[in-house]
Amino acid sequence: MLKTLTEEIIASQLSQWVQATYWLWPVLEILHFFGLTLLMGGLILVDLRMMGFFSAISLQGTKKLLPVVILGFFLNLVTGILFLYGDPSRYAINIGFQIKMILVFLAGCNAAVYHLKIEAYFLHLDSSTKTPMIIRLIGFTSISLWTGVLLLGRLIPYVGTG
Amino acid sequence: MLVWIENTSLALWVSTSLWAYPFLLSIHITGLAIIVGIFAIRDFHLVGVVSGLSVSNFLELKRLAYCGFMINSLSGIMLFSSQASYLATNLPFLLKIFFIGSGMILASQIHKTIEEKKGHAGLKKLAILSLICWFGAIVAGRLIAYIF
Repeated sequence: MLKTLTEEIIASQLSQWVQATYWLWPVLEILHFFGLTLLMGGLILVDLRMMGFFSAISLQGTKKLLPVVILGFFLNLVTGILFLYGDPSRYAINIGFQIKMILVFLAGCNAAVYHLKIEAYFLHLDSSTKTPMIIRLIGFTSISLWTGVLLLGRLIPYVGTG
Repeated sequence: MLVWIENTSLALWVSTSLWAYPFLLSIHITGLAIIVGIFAIRDFHLVGVVSGLSVSNFLELKRLAYCGFMINSLSGIMLFSSQASYLATNLPFLLKIFFIGSGMILASQIHKTIEEKKGHAGLKKLAILSLICWFGAIVAGRLIAYIF
């Protein structure tokens, strides 16, 4: 399946455009770095607050940082897809990229659990109370997974096919 | 002097070890996320784009950002040592260092103004300059690989 998908991407017009436009790759990289800054910057505050650090930040305040995180995520989703179209046969077999995508998926699941099961309860906690274990755990899982995504992303050019 | 730097045992380790360079790059991008992440949120707050925080939160957060700065100074010096003579004349690299220096001066100015609680009239202007510096540093840093 992965092979057919890769072949389809290679044959697409988008793929040819990304490869033929010489200035596009550095521009995409710069935007991808902007995106990671917004995503990680927001999450450092939100996740560390969930873990019990920076208790001066109000719990309700963390929710208002999520648009920054989501903006960063979508910026990187779009630029990331364009990277994939620009060099599909390299990414498809790269072990760093593969593990990175698994970690992004797990981080998405973690965020979904937070949103569906925890958020309403979390936001109604009194800011001065000690955050419960489950919330600390979700925050820790989130920042760990995204740090893993960051490290593996940077290693993609240096690791092989695994 | 630059050639001497490149021949120190540290520089030789960075340039010849198989994993030292990628390892340092990974550390460097983590530090980047911490520094620029926190300062960008602070500046967005001061400009009025992000709500939900209070300015005093950043007096606590700045310590973490400065930790990120220390991490990146160290990893940056090590990365620099392996290509000192190339980087010393590389325009994007010099611009990057200029942006980082200016960003740090602006940061101390911003934090001082917040601490003194003198009213925040000039803060918005400083925050916009700071955003230009940090995102400019990212642009320049990425271009090191493309402009010789």
